[in-house]
Amino acid sequence: MLSRVADNLYWMNRYVERAESLARMVEVNQDNLLELDDNIEVDRFWLSSIHAFHAHEYIDHEKEKSAECFFLFSDSWPSSIRNCIFSARENARMVRDQLSEEIWVELNSIYHFFRSKDAEVSFDQTPQQFFQKVIRFSLVFQGLSDATVNHDEGWLFMSLGKYLERADQTSRALDALTLKEKKPSRKDLIAALRICSALSAFRRQYRGELSLRNVAEFLLFSQDFPRSMRFAIRRIDSNLHELSGVPSGNFSNEAERLAGSALATVNFTNIDAVLTRGLHLSLDELQLSLMDVGQKIFETYVMSPLELQNVNDDQSMQAQQ
Amino acid sequence: MKPAPFEKYKTENFFDEMFGNSLGEPLLHYQKIFDRISRLTPVEIAEKRSHADSSFLEHGITFTVYGDEEGTEKIFPFDLIPRIIPRAEWEIVEQGLTQRILALNLFLNDIYHDGKILSDGVIPKEIVYSSPNYKKEMVGIDVPKDIYVHVCGSDLIRDETGAYYVLEDNARCPSGVSYLLENRQIMKRTFPQTFQGMSVRSVELYPEILLSTLEYLSPRRSQKPVCVVLTPGIYNSAYFEHTFLARQMGIEIVEGRDLIAIDGYVYMRTTHGLVQVDVIYRRLDDDYLDPLFFNKDSTLGVAGLMDAYLKGNVALANGIGTGVADDKVTYAYVPEMIQYYLGQDPILPNVPTYLCWRESDRNHVLENLENLVVKPANESGGYGLLVGTDSTKKEREEYKERIKSNPRDFIAQPIVSLSRHPTIFEDTIEGRHVDLRPFILYGKDIDIVPGGLTRVALRKDSLVVNSSQGGGSKDTWVLEN
Repeated sequence: MLSRVADNLYWMNRYVERAESLARMVEVNQDNLLELDDNIEVDRFWLSSIHAFHAHEYIDHEKEKSAECFFLFSDSWPSSIRNCIFSARENARMVRDQLSEEIWVELNSIYHFFRSKDAEVSFDQTPQQFFQKVIRFSLVFQGLSDATVNHDEGWLFMSLGKYLERADQTSRALDALTLKEKKPSRKDLIAALRICSALSAFRRQYRGELSLRNVAEFLLFSQDFPRSMRFAIRRIDSNLHELSGVPSGNFSNEAERLAGSALATVNFTNIDAVLTRGLHLSLDELQLSLMDVGQKIFETYVMSPLELQNVNDDQSMQAQQ
Repeated sequence: MKPAPFEKYKTENFFDEMFGNSLGEPLLHYQKIFDRISRLTPVEIAEKRSHADSSFLEHGITFTVYGDEEGTEKIFPFDLIPRIIPRAEWEIVEQGLTQRILALNLFLNDIYHDGKILSDGVIPKEIVYSSPNYKKEMVGIDVPKDIYVHVCGSDLIRDETGAYYVLEDNARCPSGVSYLLENRQIMKRTFPQTFQGMSVRSVELYPEILLSTLEYLSPRRSQKPVCVVLTPGIYNSAYFEHTFLARQMGIEIVEGRDLIAIDGYVYMRTTHGLVQVDVIYRRLDDDYLDPLFFNKDSTLGVAGLMDAYLKGNVALANGIGTGVADDKVTYAYVPEMIQYYLGQDPILPNVPTYLCWRESDRNHVLENLENLVVKPANESGGYGLLVGTDSTKKEREEYKERIKSNPRDFIAQPIVSLSRHPTIFEDTIEGRHVDLRPFILYGKDIDIVPGGLTRVALRKDSLVVNSSQGGGSKDTWVLEN
């Protein structure tokens, strides 16, 4: 398939997944903060969240109504939910011929919702319904991706986009616990699980033994939970091998090698080793290695060998100078 | 006593597609539709209309408006009352258009080779050579099957007697066929009962025929040709149409950056390396196609594409340099071309046209500006034209100066009172002016999709039907019998 099309499909799915995660993050936190009666505390919480997303440089204090509105509707921050929806649709428009009519209609109608005033009005008046709408959109989108398009090469790129984004978002939810000044409270742990839609799955496995250790173990290593790091990385690895036709355990390009190595890390380490090394440090390393996988997918499948040659030449030229 | 929706309907002094020149009964081929619409209440009319509008927006059947800051996508407004053409009338239109596309292609082949029509003095040389769309790179080049214009959209209008005229030809990248196809879909969904017992000719084969038209041009015979649609990108006003056609044909839609020309061949960049391309259905004007040949600043094209084309390693539809055939000055000579190449009388007449480069015509135009439509010879989309009756004295004076300083660039025509068609306006029905753009495909055979895109000027009394200027469209039915 066209390299650009592969790139568009990959990003379309990343943006949809990102919008969903962000919607859940804001919904869960807003819910939690309702019980806090201390405005300073609330402000501090949102400010630290904005920092965690490296989004502080985009914030315009005079323009933003609230931190929540920044996450949802910011024009300047490329990852606000609105911008994610716009970018997903922009990518979809470039590959409309690859999508089913059903997928396009869903994406197009949420786009018109965010383009009009309806989205902000809905968030003001019935926030619950607003979040449900965004999350449902993403779930319907995923369902349609599974049920209405060929599971061919393009689908593999869609899947790669989805799972790379998902792994990143899960690691952020978990990492937020390590960034707290105090030991995370019961409420913080529940919030992390809810942000990953993992609360009931977690309860079934751990019977309510809520601890940082268990939550981290579940979100990092669960074999079966579809938002755990291990699950996502396993999918990334198998998608890459399906794409190249090279058997798992071998590699034919850098993306496969790095994904295989990340998978080995989550397969052959355990929670005690992670906690000993430091949860934050371990998560950071995983995040970085997944970023590299994304970059190598781009270099392998999207940039043509000619351009890659030029980039390498430029770099070696610079190195010589 | 006329039924409710038509109670206040007036045909005034225009030819009405439904009522002809009379005020009373609808024409025979409109009788069933008339009956069905007459039974609708104002509420039902409004409901059907909003249903159709939301279908268009949801499905993203839109065009992009230029000059708008956000590149806003708008729907092309759709009117629910179909335009109907009886079989016998359509057959004549079809013959006229066939004759015309043959003559245009013979003309292009002639002027890029021996130029007989010029040396025989039928068409003045200066006209052809002064056209900005005459491409001297094409002189002496043989194009596949000697066909230059594979896809043509000719605009037809009807005067107050109901006679058909050709208003202009679009021999470069005519657009609108996707709306024609989608209109039929939406019409079937919102108003299925109107089709009953009508035997409307189907339009859905168009993409298939377009694909075989493209494949017919392939320079490689050994394998299934690789055809692509080349688009300028998502900000182009017709982007929806480009993806629509690519999807319907099952071929790739590419932008310039997806293609690369190496040593006289064109390839597309894929996840599995480079793949050779045989035929490009390009929806990009000549000037943007190849920065090495034409506009140096164009980032939309492919460097080296022309080289591959001239070597015959890749085919383009339409060919390069076809714009000289739809130049509005050349247009005035199409009847002569038909005589010259085919030895036939033109079946569809031209609208009388004054060529400003001729002194006698120019004087006439300058003296009668308030009664004429003046058009730039090389613009499309209704941009830059002056409708004499709707202009101010100041506008006319300015236009006169432009004509005098550049007479070659302007033509003028009498204002034809376009036919009108019953059209839904709010919750009632009024007459609005319409034209018709049929689409002609020229491959192994000549094939014309039954009907065409009927464009309607939604503003009362307006004669401008272009989508960029407040036009809408209608489903167009050609009846089987």
